[in-house]
Amino acid sequence: MKLDTSGLEAPAPILGGIDDLSVDFAAAQSFDLPGCADFDGFQKDAVQMVKPAKGTTTLAFIFKEGVIVAADSRASMGGYISSQSVKKIIEINPYMLGTMAGGAADCQFWHRNLGIKCRLHELANKRRISVTGASKLLANILYSYRGMGLSVGTMIAGWDEKGPGLYYVDSEGGRLKGTRFSVGSGSPYAYGVLDNGYRYDLSIEEAAELGRRAIYHATFRDGASGGVASVYFVGPNGWKKMSGDDVGELHYKYYPVTTTPVEQEMAEVPAA
Amino acid sequence: MECVFGLVGDGFALIVADTSAVNSILVHKSNEDKVMVLDSHKLLGASGEGGDRVQFTEYIQKNVHLYQFRNGIPLTTAAAANFTRGELATALRKNPYFVNILLAGYDKDIGPSLYFIDYIATLHKIDKGAFGYGSYFCLSMMDRHYHQGMTVEEAVDLADKCIMEIRSRLVVAPPNFVIKIVDKDGAREYAWRESIKDAGVAATA
Amino acid sequence: MSIFEYNGSAVVAMVGKNCFAIASDRRLGVNLQTIATDFQRIYKIHDKLYIGLSGLATDAQTLYQRLVFRHKLYQLREERDMRPETFASLVSAILYEKRFGPYFCQPVIAGLGDDNKPFICTMDCIGAKELAKDFVVSGTASESLYGACESMFKPDLEPDELFEVVSQALLASVDRDCLSGWGGHVLIVTPTEVLERTLKGRMD
Repeated sequence: MKLDTSGLEAPAPILGGIDDLSVDFAAAQSFDLPGCADFDGFQKDAVQMVKPAKGTTTLAFIFKEGVIVAADSRASMGGYISSQSVKKIIEINPYMLGTMAGGAADCQFWHRNLGIKCRLHELANKRRISVTGASKLLANILYSYRGMGLSVGTMIAGWDEKGPGLYYVDSEGGRLKGTRFSVGSGSPYAYGVLDNGYRYDLSIEEAAELGRRAIYHATFRDGASGGVASVYFVGPNGWKKMSGDDVGELHYKYYPVTTTPVEQEMAEVPAA
Repeated sequence: MECVFGLVGDGFALIVADTSAVNSILVHKSNEDKVMVLDSHKLLGASGEGGDRVQFTEYIQKNVHLYQFRNGIPLTTAAAANFTRGELATALRKNPYFVNILLAGYDKDIGPSLYFIDYIATLHKIDKGAFGYGSYFCLSMMDRHYHQGMTVEEAVDLADKCIMEIRSRLVVAPPNFVIKIVDKDGAREYAWRESIKDAGVAATA
Repeated sequence: MSIFEYNGSAVVAMVGKNCFAIASDRRLGVNLQTIATDFQRIYKIHDKLYIGLSGLATDAQTLYQRLVFRHKLYQLREERDMRPETFASLVSAILYEKRFGPYFCQPVIAGLGDDNKPFICTMDCIGAKELAKDFVVSGTASESLYGACESMFKPDLEPDELFEVVSQALLASVDRDCLSGWGGHVLIVTPTEVLERTLKGRMD
């Protein structure tokens, strides 16, 4: 079996023997393949074991001013919340963001790897890589690992020479260009709010609020989403973090506690 | 896939259901009314396996009527909901009915109410609720736009938003929906939202 | 996912000085989907006896209805309320009755017995009683609750302190559980009064 291990190659030889550690570091060129007959099955089982971030809500959409990218921050293992402060929006470079849904390690590693490739492209060609190109790089890598148990559902959003760009890429090898995506277990909920509130000519503030609101409603209904609703905006001058609101507080901002309604007694039938 | 949802407004409750009768990959019929008018002031929206749905809802309807004939007064919505739950719970450990139910009603001195009863007989009083794959889109939509004391126009507008969202986002979206309302004047059909006419009719035409 | 985790729940009871607290979360879910955030899991049997039923909501409701029925029969026959110990045995018996098709509930029973001595106990779904002097927990957040209660519990707390401890323990625990939370519901029962409060919690 031939693996595309190009992603693991050190981008440049480490200069000089700084210390003993660096020797092994530079030498690491590929993954060790497990010595077993059912390689695919083994990979899938192994990934199931080390996959912490399952439930997620992430979204991104293009509008007049640029792209909004928003996500929650919860990582869960089964019913247990292993973290409420995961960074699911990955900053690939100052003009491009990636979102994380599926396996945390897979997403983090391949986004980092994509960042390297994008930088190399920039150095080689003296111009920034397009969002189209970057997403294609990622999709090609993920496609070469197809069926081996990678779990990635990501959106690549950014600003390039052609303006705002948004692609959805997943570990099944799919790559979609679009103006509005949501990924993760909470995505249907987010779509419910997003589709209805979306207009192309939103202002930046309105768009950020729409993204935040969609994430909030997803965290409310989806048990596996929660934590902080972070919102990023990518415009002609690169990305900017618009907000990071704890949804625990956001709920009471959107729905201030009024006088507590009397608990309805279901069992008792009032006298007619 | 099946979608049933409902909400409570100011002086009325509303139930919306898709109207597709499906069997595996086949759509038998796209104008099957899944919201039963239980009695003069109650609506029962049900989703689930075809046979179970019809059998169970009719059984409930007949028993609610029987109560009314015997006692001369109708069951309150809460009582009907608890009765329904009881029957479903008893059946659960014998031969369960696979039906999810939204029960809406209007009682003179209580006003409108909506009850959620799922196929394992969990009963809960709610303001807004949904069953089926459509629930993923409807619930957040309703959370976003619902407020206490909605008018009929606002509620139907919200229902239309939900229907549009289901039609545009759900893979196996049903084409047609029926909206029914119950208020002080009784339970009645309010409107249909049809994007195709019944397949059978279209074929013969 | 286990059937006990289908709806999601967290229930805890704690003993204080001549009083007890029983608290639960308010979520009703279907797996990861939240259906309602005003669900009741703590039921009153009589003024000084409460039962919290974690696990499958439908069975909690069925079980509660059967328990109320049996308690009312007891009241008619004996012209008095049931002692918590007796009630625990009743619950245990009713649960074991269904040994081969159990109610998927884990009850937490808390009450004031003779001379207002607090009594708390929990059970598995087929009625194995587990008595405790300090606190008992159950539900999907039970592991977190054990930790929180273990570190926060102190013996002989006054009612207001007990309220604080049990609330903090509950809220801290459900914040580490996907399937429970969305607010809390606390009851502090003393010989003279019952303090009932709903807690504001994270709604995610």
